[in-house]
Amino acid sequence: MTRATQAISLAEARARYQPDAELAPLPAMIDPDTLLAAFHPDHLRGSVVKLVIGANAGDSCQHELADLLQAEAVIDEADLAGTPVTDCDVLVIGGGGAGCAAALAAAERGASVILATKLRLGDSNTVMAEGGIQAAIEPEDSLQRHVQDTLRGGHHAGDPALVAAMVEDGPDVIRWLIRQGMQFEQTAGGNLHTRKAGGLSTARIVHCRDYTGLEMMRVLREAVIQHRAIEVWEQSPAIELLSNERGQKCVGAVLSSLADGRLRIVRTRSVILATGGIGRLHLNGFPTSNHLGATGDGLVLAYRIGAKLRDLDSFQYHPTGLVYPPHLSGKLVTEGVRAAGALLLNADGQRFVDELAPRDVVSAAILREVRAGRGIRSPRLDKERYGVWLDTPRLERAQPGLLERQFPKLLGRTRGAGLDPRVDPLLVHPTLHYQNGGAVIDVDGATTVPGLYAVGEVSGGIHGRNRIMGNALLEIIGFGRRAGVAAISDRDRGPKKVTLEHVNRMRRALTLAGMPMMRKAPQVLPPYAGGVWGR
Amino acid sequence: MEGAVEFDLTINGQCAQAHAGMTVVEAAWRNGVPRVRGVGCLEGVCGSCRILLRHDGEVTVALACQTFVQPGMEVVFLPPQSAPRHHYDIDEFEDSWSIQSRFHEIFPEAARCRHCHGCVVSCPKGIKVEEAIMLAATGRFRDAGEMFFECVMCELCDNACPEQIAPAHVGLFCRRITAHFHLRPPNLIHRLEELRQSKQGRGSHD
Repeated sequence: MTRATQAISLAEARARYQPDAELAPLPAMIDPDTLLAAFHPDHLRGSVVKLVIGANAGDSCQHELADLLQAEAVIDEADLAGTPVTDCDVLVIGGGGAGCAAALAAAERGASVILATKLRLGDSNTVMAEGGIQAAIEPEDSLQRHVQDTLRGGHHAGDPALVAAMVEDGPDVIRWLIRQGMQFEQTAGGNLHTRKAGGLSTARIVHCRDYTGLEMMRVLREAVIQHRAIEVWEQSPAIELLSNERGQKCVGAVLSSLADGRLRIVRTRSVILATGGIGRLHLNGFPTSNHLGATGDGLVLAYRIGAKLRDLDSFQYHPTGLVYPPHLSGKLVTEGVRAAGALLLNADGQRFVDELAPRDVVSAAILREVRAGRGIRSPRLDKERYGVWLDTPRLERAQPGLLERQFPKLLGRTRGAGLDPRVDPLLVHPTLHYQNGGAVIDVDGATTVPGLYAVGEVSGGIHGRNRIMGNALLEIIGFGRRAGVAAISDRDRGPKKVTLEHVNRMRRALTLAGMPMMRKAPQVLPPYAGGVWGR
Repeated sequence: MEGAVEFDLTINGQCAQAHAGMTVVEAAWRNGVPRVRGVGCLEGVCGSCRILLRHDGEVTVALACQTFVQPGMEVVFLPPQSAPRHHYDIDEFEDSWSIQSRFHEIFPEAARCRHCHGCVVSCPKGIKVEEAIMLAATGRFRDAGEMFFECVMCELCDNACPEQIAPAHVGLFCRRITAHFHLRPPNLIHRLEELRQSKQGRGSHD
């Protein structure tokens, strides 16, 4: 991780800080590509390896993730004997926003749905999303502009057909959410209030103050548990998918129970993976904004059954993760705060980047400041952490009352630690936030394996190599609904036999490649939270 | 912070060592405490890591990820929330005139609050639950829902309520019904109409 020799201490920086200090003009910006190549964690030497086996053999992949993708399964055929079997039309794995949207879409069309989730329904990254959701609804905006901003933000690595599908869904996604009972911020005239953010050419983010994800998640959770056709299995992580005799179609999954460790088989026509991301793998030693369950299980399961993945060497480090207070380490301060005008200042009290440049550029700039010794050091018992100031007091002086009105979550969270962002600048550092890539999908969320869909963060191709704010919440609902509909249009009568043929195939590949068979995946929970397999 | 003083507390019946500034979750992990349920977001919004606390002779409830350890504290992680007892389908409401009568059918207990204050003292977000339930019971759904704005659905109020009102679900009902029937933003509606017309236009040229 980042090291700095002459960084000043938090106490010293706080004593020096003046909310009304004069700021020098922003120094001339160096070429973003040069900045990214030098400082973005994706480009750290040794962080990326080539995959040896599977559908992406030869592709670049973050090494922590590669270890899991090329690992042994946690079960084999002997474990399935006597395991109870449940049949349903659609199995949704994952209880965040994408999983709930998929389950609702399938159930609305008459399918019987089981939604299995590792922890509690709604325990997800969705519930923490603060900033908002993009939809091109303002008169000066258009679908075309939304598409352009998304592709440009992703360094033109995104799939234009997927981006167009997501963008086209935007306005109707908002209508659907309102119909489910989700509230949004309005202007005095009753319009939906929109905000601008990094990489957006116009105001396009609709939001519910800084609790957009919480509002979305509590509404969708209630809609799901109230729906008669959806059965919810909580504390039930998926530990393997099931395939047909030839190992070529996904026909169900094996679920474990965190409560008693027992296994259950779900046999189905379609499986929708909505398992989220990988923040809790702490790539390159970074802290994360993610939920405890974000251990990349979906990628592991999809890869083992043969699904093609993409952009496994591209991750988003959100620029403004909290460094202090320590118990919120890595937790986000929404980009909305910078969109509202908050500046980033280094230890010298000076600006060093356009705060609304794309997230990867802002993160790289912060890492550069820290490495150059212009960071601020925060002491911790385990290790030292560094950061720069997010100048919220200056924002408060410019727009009194704004923080309290628009960012109640931020104020509420820091209050417990005796910190007031209206008076105290916040110490921030990039935090592992989002998996840009994932399973290759089409516009219905279908992966390259028949019967297997992937939606939300576990899928890839929409955000290219950098996601812009507000597109994650749009994607999970838009593609969640698309996959929910597509998953039941399959006329297949359902499986006759469920097997672990794909597990055997992967094991053969591991043996032939002479790879170690010791490591098992999926991980389910991070080791520091007790893990699962070591018990 | 070098060499911070360690002290003892009890988590799920097991003795644990921690130091000031740690949360209950951090202390539980560090000491390998079993049966630590429902840890999720670690920032107080998923409402899962519910605990019962005994300290200085006082018993309270809280969220473990937002609670700092103290010497001698006794902590028990609570089981997950139970299935909801009140059922409704928001699409089955005829129109907004019937909301209040439907509300009393769905949540008959809401009008029977005995003002015991249990919900208010158990709320980790400081919501004036009792007052909000009063508003809901008199049909003031928008105002009631707004009071539940910071609700994370930990449902500790539901556990505390002797009348089984399920206040968290009442609050969410109020918020949902307000959006479902009353949120009609002109900018969104106009864009949807434009898209509908252009789709129709495209269709006729095919």
